[in-house]
Amino acid sequence: MIAIGAGLAVGLAGIGSGLGEKDAAAAAIGAITEDPSVFGRALIFVVLPETIVIFGLVIAIMAFFVL
Amino acid sequence: MSRVVIAGTRSSLDEAIDSFYGVEALHLIDHTTGADGFSIGSPLPHSSKASERLLKVRAMEKELGVGKGTDTAAVPVAEVRGGIESGSVESVESEVLKALDRRNDLSQRVAGLNARKAALEALSRIPVDLDLYSGYRSVASVAGTVDSDPSGALSSLKDAECFYSFDKKEGGVVAVFARASERDKAVAALSDLGFSEIEVPEGSGSPSRALDEVIQKLKAADAESESVEKELEALRAKHKTFLRATDEELSIQIAKGEIPLRIAVGDRSYILDAWVPAKRAEAVKAEIESKLGSAVHVEIEETRGRDLHEEEHAEERFKKAPTKQSNGRVAREFEYAVGLVSTPRYQEIDPTILLTIFLPLFFGFMVGDCGYAIPFIILGAYGLRKTRHKDWRAIATVLFFGGIWAFLFGFFFFGEALGMHFIGLEEELITHGGKSVSWDILLGVQFPDWFQGLMPEFVHHGEAGAEEIHHGVGKLVEVTLLLKLSVYIGLVHLMLAYICGIFNKARQHGAKEAFMEKGGWTIAFVGIVVLCYGMTCVLFNGDGFEGATLIFMVAGIAMLLVGTVVNFTKEGVQAIIEIPGLVGNILSYARLAAIGMSKAGMALAFNYIVFGMIMGISSPDFHVSTFMLIIGLVIFALLHLVVWTLAILSAGLHALRLQFVEFMTRFFDGGGTRYEPLAVKREKTISFGKEAKEAKEA
Repeated sequence: MIAIGAGLAVGLAGIGSGLGEKDAAAAAIGAITEDPSVFGRALIFVVLPETIVIFGLVIAIMAFFVL
Repeated sequence: MSRVVIAGTRSSLDEAIDSFYGVEALHLIDHTTGADGFSIGSPLPHSSKASERLLKVRAMEKELGVGKGTDTAAVPVAEVRGGIESGSVESVESEVLKALDRRNDLSQRVAGLNARKAALEALSRIPVDLDLYSGYRSVASVAGTVDSDPSGALSSLKDAECFYSFDKKEGGVVAVFARASERDKAVAALSDLGFSEIEVPEGSGSPSRALDEVIQKLKAADAESESVEKELEALRAKHKTFLRATDEELSIQIAKGEIPLRIAVGDRSYILDAWVPAKRAEAVKAEIESKLGSAVHVEIEETRGRDLHEEEHAEERFKKAPTKQSNGRVAREFEYAVGLVSTPRYQEIDPTILLTIFLPLFFGFMVGDCGYAIPFIILGAYGLRKTRHKDWRAIATVLFFGGIWAFLFGFFFFGEALGMHFIGLEEELITHGGKSVSWDILLGVQFPDWFQGLMPEFVHHGEAGAEEIHHGVGKLVEVTLLLKLSVYIGLVHLMLAYICGIFNKARQHGAKEAFMEKGGWTIAFVGIVVLCYGMTCVLFNGDGFEGATLIFMVAGIAMLLVGTVVNFTKEGVQAIIEIPGLVGNILSYARLAAIGMSKAGMALAFNYIVFGMIMGISSPDFHVSTFMLIIGLVIFALLHLVVWTLAILSAGLHALRLQFVEFMTRFFDGGGTRYEPLAVKREKTISFGKEAKEAKEA
C-alpha cells in the first residue's frame, strides 16, 4: 500500500505539473519567438508549476522512508 | 554614477568626439528634441563617405568569404586611415570586381553550356541532324522529352514525319515534323505523355558531334573557373587584412560620426549629458578639459545615490542611471545568466557573484558523479578556450565549474563514478545476488585504506539488523540524509536572498521601509522554519510537546505571527495567502536530491543491464567472453551517454530555476540599463595611443 501511495503521489503530482506547465510553456515559446530577451522571465513562469511534482516526490519519499 | 554636462563650440565637435571616446567613461544620455531649444544634430560630414566605403568593404568581404572568424593581423591605424584616404578601398574594389565579373560571366556561360548539353544529350538519341530542325517554309518541327511511350500518340498524327526513342528508365525523346498549320495539333497529342519541349540548339551536323564540342567547351570553362577561383583566393589572401582593418576603422568612424544624432547641437555650440562612474568623474572632467582647453566646459551636475527618491525626483531622461556590473573574470561569464532575467537596477545588488557560486554548486551536487564530471570539465574547458559567443561561453562556464563541483561531490561525498560506487556493499552487489555494481568488484581490486578514508562512512542497519558500512553516500540509500541536506542548503540560499532583499530595500528606501517590506517576510520565514523543525520532531521523532520542542514551536508561531502582522500592514491579505508558499520554496530545494536520485536510478538500471544481463556477471570469479565484453562496453557507453545528456538538461535547468525562481525573486527587480561608455574597441587595428601605452607598460 505504501508503494502504491508513493507512486500515486509522484504520478498524480506529475500529471498536475504537466497540465500546469503546458499552457505556460506554449505561451512562453510564443513570447520568446517575438522577443528573445524575455527568455529568463518566460522560463520562470514555465517552471513555476514544476514545484508541485517535487511536493509529490517529498511525500513519496516520506511514505517510503519515514512512515 | 555622476551625471555630467559637457558644452562646447561646434567647430571643435570633431575633435571633442575623439576625446569623449578617449576617456572611455561617458555613457551618453540621448537628447530629446525641443527639451531646451536645441535640436539633435546631423552626422559629421565624413560620415556618409565612410558609410559608402563600408558598404563596399562589406560587399567585398561577403564575396571573398572574409568575416569575423578570419584570422588576420592587426594593422596600425595610421596605415589604415592613409589607405582609406588615398582611395585604397576603391582600387581594391575595382581589382576584386574585375575578378568577380569574370566569375559571373563564366558561371553564366557554364549555365548556358549545361543547358545546351542537356538538350543535345536528348536529341542525340534521334538520328536527325541539327540543321534539319529549321529552315522550312511550310514545315514546323517540334522536339522534346516524354515520360511514356509515344508510339500510340504519334501514329494518330497524319502527314507528319515522326522520330522517337523510348526507354523505360530514361524516358523518351520525340521529334515531329508536320505542316506548319498542324504544329499545335502535334503538341496537343504529345501533351498527355508529359511532353516537355526542347529548344533545339543552333548548329549543323549530328547532335552527338555537337555534344562532344559542348563537353570540350565545358572542360575548358571548368579549367578557367578554377583559375578564377585561384585568383579570388589570391585576392582574399592579399586583401583580407586590409578589409578587416578597414571594416573596423570605418565602423568606428561611422559610430563617431553619428554621435551628433544623440546630442543637442545648435548653430555654434553643442551640449551633451552623460553618466560617468562617480569615482572617475573628476578625472574625466580634468582629462576632457585638458584635451580641449577653452573649447569645452564640463560640469558635474549630480552624483546619484542608491536612494530611489533621488531617481523619482529627477527629470524624465535623467531618471535611470545605468548599472555598471563590476565582476571579475570568472563572474563576468555569469552576467549573461543574470541578463536572461534582466539587467540589475542601479539601486540593487548585482546577483551575478551569488550565481557564480551557487549555480555550478547546485549543478555539481545534482550530477554528483566523477564519471560524468570529467567530460563536463573537458567540454567546458574546450568551450571556454574556443568559443567567443556569449551564449556558448555562459554554458561552457557552468559546465566547467559545475563539472569541478560534480567531481568533488562525486568523489569525496558520493564516492561514485558512472553510477557505481568505488567500494560496494557486498550483499547488494550482483556478484552476491544483488542488483548493483561497484568498481572494486569490477576491477577485482581492494582499494587501500587511505582511499576508503577519503569518502564518508555510513553505518546502516540492514533488514536482518546487521551493520552495513557504506563508503560514500548512496543516492538511493541515504535518501533521508540527502533530502535533509537539500532542505538545509535551501534554507541557507533563501536566507541569503532575504538578507539581500533587506539590504536592497534599506539602500533604496531606508531601514524602516526595509523592515516593513522585507523584514516581515524574513521573520515569517525564520518562524516557519523553526516551527517546521519543532513539528518534525513531534511527528517523525516521536518527541512530546515539551522541552526544546515546545520552545521551538512557540518561538516559531510567535515569529510567524509577528512577521505576518508586519506583512499584513504592507500587503494586506496577500501576507496570509503566501505563508504556505514559504514552505513550498524550501521544499522546492528537494529537487537537489531528487535529480541526483533519478540519475542514480537510471545508472543503476543501465549498469545492471550491461553487467548483469549482457555480460552475465553473477559471482566474484566471473569470466566474460571478449565478444560480450565489447558488446557490453558499447551499450554501456551509449546508455551512460543518455544519462549524461539528461544531466545537462535536468541538472542545468533545475539549477538555473532555483536561482531564477526561488532565489532572485526574493530581492531582484531588474529593469536596469547596462552601462555602455563610449569606447573604441580595436581588434584588427592598433592605435598609437594603445601602442604607446603598451610600450610604457613594458
